[in-house]
Order: sequence, then C-alpha cells, then structure tokens
Amino acid sequence: MRPAVDVSVGFQPEPGSFGPVTQTDIVRFAGAAGDFNPLHHDADYVSRTGFRTVIAMGQLQAGILAGWLTDWCGVEHLRSFTVRFSAPVSLGDELQLSAEVIDVRTEDGVEVADLAVVARCGQTAVVHGTACIQRRSS
Amino acid sequence: METIESLVGIVVDDIAFTVERGKIREFQRATSTCDPVHHDRAAAADAGYADVLATPTHVVVAGHYRDQSAFVSMLGLDIARIVVGSVTWEFGRPVVAGDELRGIRVVVADEVRQGRRGGLMRIVTLETPYCDATGTAVVTVREELIERGASS
Repeated sequence: MRPAVDVSVGFQPEPGSFGPVTQTDIVRFAGAAGDFNPLHHDADYVSRTGFRTVIAMGQLQAGILAGWLTDWCGVEHLRSFTVRFSAPVSLGDELQLSAEVIDVRTEDGVEVADLAVVARCGQTAVVHGTACIQRRSS
Repeated sequence: METIESLVGIVVDDIAFTVERGKIREFQRATSTCDPVHHDRAAAADAGYADVLATPTHVVVAGHYRDQSAFVSMLGLDIARIVVGSVTWEFGRPVVAGDELRGIRVVVADEVRQGRRGGLMRIVTLETPYCDATGTAVVTVREELIERGASS
C-alpha cells in the first residue's frame, strides 16, 4: 500500500506543464481514446468550421490534468474528479497545470482533501474543476 | 419556443470491454502520465494491486466501442452545435488491468437554459456506471453535453 499525501488547506503540489501541443499529441490521444472527430485531425475540415486550427479534444487536456494530479497523489487515492471545459486548446498551445487544497474533511469515515484544479494556456483557463483525494491525517 | 420531448431515462448505449495492459500503457503515454503503477506490475503490487492500474480517465477508451454520430442523432441533437461542458469521474476503486467492464449510458437530465449571449442552450446529462464482473460500479462518469441555439 502507498500512503496518501499529507496535506492541509492552501497546499499546492509542484506545478506541471505539457506542450506545445502538436498534431502528433492529438493523433496519439485519438488513437488511445477512439475519438476520431475530424475537428481534431483534419485541417481541411477544420477550415470549413469557425476554428483557426485543429483543436485538441477536451479529454486530452482533462486526461493530462488528471494524470499529473495522480502522479502526485496516487491514482488509488483519487475519489472523484470533475472538469469543465472553458476554452479550446489549439496546436502550439502550452498547458500549465496547477492545483490547490481548498478544504479538508471526513467523508464516509475517510479523511479527504478537496482541490481546485486548473489547466491554463497563458492567462486563459482551458480546463478547471475539482478533485477529491484521500489524505493522510497527521 | 420549440417543444422538446425530454430524453430522461433513455439508454444511449451499452458496451462491454476488457481493460488491457497495452491500452493502459498507450493511454498513459497519450496523457503524459508517469507513475510506474500504470506499466510496472511490481510497482502495482507494491501499491497493493494484482495488476497494473489504469490512469484516472482511462474509461474514455469506451470511445472505441461507441458510435458518436449515431447516439447524437438518436438523441435528436445537432453534432455541429454540441460541445462537452463538463465531465465527472467518481471512483469506487481504481480500474485494474483485467477488469471486465460494462457501461450502460443513460440520459439523467435534459434541460433548456438561457445562454449567456442570449438564445437557448439545451443541456443533456449522460451517466455511465462502469460495472465489473460482480456488478459493482468501479467508476461512474457523468457528461454534460451543451447544444447551443441554432441562431447563436
């Protein structure tokens, strides 16, 4: 068994990053996840829509943000993860990943921490949400 | 205002798949996730599991077994106007290689709201409990689809 992280309100794990996002990153994720919407790989198709370039599927940045979080806290300690997609991610964008503990409490007899999580491109939040993880009580 | 019949209770799709080590590794690489519990059985054993653990959002691979345009048209939505608003994953336990999962996706909410830029938005919420061979939900996913108004 791996211990849960020992955190209190205000704690921030070491920030993460990803990118610049390439067409290869998007295609690799499309193959892994089975998302073959042409908006994510077909530039001719995209040019007929309102987007400037191919955009990443939200599940790419959600998966990167969730994976970055569980690399730190342990995937077996993640109880829930919610994300809202607030802006598209285009080719060349760089993601900055961060989180902060906003509450600690007991849920079903388990010590847990709630975190605010966000992926930003520059100043723009592209994905933001919350995570609930098990924590070690000190 | 057009009248829309509520879709609540409709089963969107019903899929089953085995969680495979190779797919976990592929998904791990695609999401730039590093923890060795996703590819090293010894690391997974140290964490108390019989096989490697999937990355947190792994059940997104269900996309391979679903037909996106079929379910969108079945729900009477216009794919060109749909965006995914939010997604929630709730875990009963981590997903482990070898799990036989079945996911039945159901419409749990169907609402029309005023959009921020005027016009109406339709918000359809889908919920999928992914159950293991014992029928226990390992992870439950809720997806909120937003269909923007035709004129906005």
